[in-house]
Order: sequence, then structure tokens, then C-alpha cells
Amino acid sequence: MEQALADHWYLYGAIGLLTICTLLTRASYHLFGHRVPLSEGVRRALRYAPAAALTAIIVPILLPWSAPDSMATVIDQRLFAALVAIWLFQKTRNVLVMIVGGMVAFWLLRALIGWW
Amino acid sequence: MIAVRPALIATFTWGLVTGVAMVKSGLTESAAVWMTLFVYAGSAQLTSLPLIASGAPLWLIFAAGLIVNLRFLIFSAALQPYFQSLPWYKRLTYGYFTTDMSFVLFMPRFGDADIKGTAAQRSFFLATIVPGWFTWQTSSLLGIALGSLVPTAWSLDYAAVLALMAITIPLANSRPMLVSMLAAGVTAWISQGLPLRLGLLAAVVVGIVSGIWAETALKKKR
Repeated sequence: MEQALADHWYLYGAIGLLTICTLLTRASYHLFGHRVPLSEGVRRALRYAPAAALTAIIVPILLPWSAPDSMATVIDQRLFAALVAIWLFQKTRNVLVMIVGGMVAFWLLRALIGWW
Repeated sequence: MIAVRPALIATFTWGLVTGVAMVKSGLTESAAVWMTLFVYAGSAQLTSLPLIASGAPLWLIFAAGLIVNLRFLIFSAALQPYFQSLPWYKRLTYGYFTTDMSFVLFMPRFGDADIKGTAAQRSFFLATIVPGWFTWQTSSLLGIALGSLVPTAWSLDYAAVLALMAITIPLANSRPMLVSMLAAGVTAWISQGLPLRLGLLAAVVVGIVSGIWAETALKKKR
């Protein structure tokens, strides 16, 4: 992990590629769109992709396995604080309340678990 | 300008959290600054952070960035008629600076316009993207500065997970979408032991397929 972050080629390669992502998705249709109309089927598929990707990033962070070869999940303050944050978001619809509340819940739970 | 103000507050919060998150996931300050100036895509930045921190291969970071940004392909397809008369470098610029906020403000106002591509429409669009860019960059840089002052023991990188959740939860606005996200989540959990984070790609494929399946199944029922 530390090694990857110390590697400048890797880091700036990632930044460069993500910049290309930004350009490709936001500007390619402006540039070439009149030649490639999006079909209804493609539009439908595109609607589900971002939500699926975001969920797939979040779930392993909240519910990591204890080791790569065992499916025993670590359940700790990350999951519970996330549930508190979701509840706060449903109540208030406010991103700031959700993030601050989730962080406070995380700190409280971590202190509690450590103290146990 | 008045229409833009509430959106700018949201943009400011996002930028701040993203700035802090970049530094707290271990990016050097200068890398974080370059990332915010060039990539200019909060959700793609937040998504890539856990991947970069775990040393995932570059092609996977690229693929994940593309997938999270796919909504902009739909946005730019909808916006294209308004800009098609312009020279290519202007279309490129308008496209690159398009944000969720500018799209959400622009479409209700001009979505049904009889003539698409007037100067007034383009200046409205500019009025949404220029303050948005300055707000985002200011708050992001502020977040990077703050992030390096705050001790790591505060685990502020967890705020990045919360911020990602804040993007994700509002997407669950229909039953097929919920099915798709559940399927993707379960797939991602089961497949997290796979090398190169291939579970992420598997989860996206399963998510799309089950979303479309649920959409068709629900339609038949009615």
C-alpha cells in the first residue's frame, strides 16, 4: 500500500487516466455525438452502471473479510456508523448532517469498542 | 445567479470533503492538487481513492472512473443540441466543465425550448459552470490544506466513504435500481477476495443485468 503511494509514476498515471475519463465521458458526445446516437437499450444499461459501481466500492470497505481466503466478515464501527449516517440522511436529506453525524458516530463507537 | 447559490453550498461541502479525503487516503499534497485541478470529478476522485490506496492496477482505476462518470455521457447527449453549432474546441471546453449541478439547473429551464442553441442559453450555462468551478477548486484546495493539518488518528478517510454513500443513496430511487444495487453489493461482498479487484467489474455487470431484468419483470406484472 505504502509502496503504491510512494510510486509517482503510478500516482500520476492514475490522475492522468482519470482526467481522460472526465474528458471522454463529458466531451466526447459534444464532439462526435451527431455520428453515434445512443440507443434506448444502451441508455437503460448506462442508468444502472454508476449506482452498481458505487455500491461495489462501498460494500467491501464496510464489510471486509478478515482474510482474503475466509468469508468471515469483520463487523465493526464502520458498518454501524454507516447505518447511523444512512438514517440521518433519510431524516434530514442533508449531506453535511450525514457526514458530520456519521463521523461522530464512528468516533463514539470506536471509543466504546476500545474501552470495552 | 440566484438559482445557482444553493447548489454552490453543496458544491463547497463536496469539495471540502473530497480535498480532505484525498490527503487522508495517503495522496501527497501535490498529487491531490493536480488531481483536483485536472480530474475535476468528485465522485470519480472519491471512487478511485480506495483503489489507489490498495495499489489496484491502473486499467481498473480507469475503468472504475469511466463507469462512475457514465452519467455524463447521458448528460452530454442531452446537451449536445445546444452546442452543436460551435467550433470543436468550444464544444470540448463546455463539455469538460459540465457538472451535475449545471445539468440539473439547465435542463428544467431550457429542456423544452423551441430553438436549441441560442446565445442566452449558452450564457446561462456558463453562469452555472464558472462559479461552480471556482467554488469546487477553492473548497477542494482548502480541504487539502486542512487535511494535512488534521491528525490521522481522527480517521477522516472514513468521511470519504460517507461522502460516497451520500452520492449513492439518492440513486436508489426506483425498485429496479434497488434490485440492481443490492445485486451489485452482494456480488462485491462475495467477490472481494478476487485478485486485481475484479469483483468490482463483476459487480457492475451483475448490477446492470439484474437492474434490466427487474425492470422487465416489474413491467410484465402490471
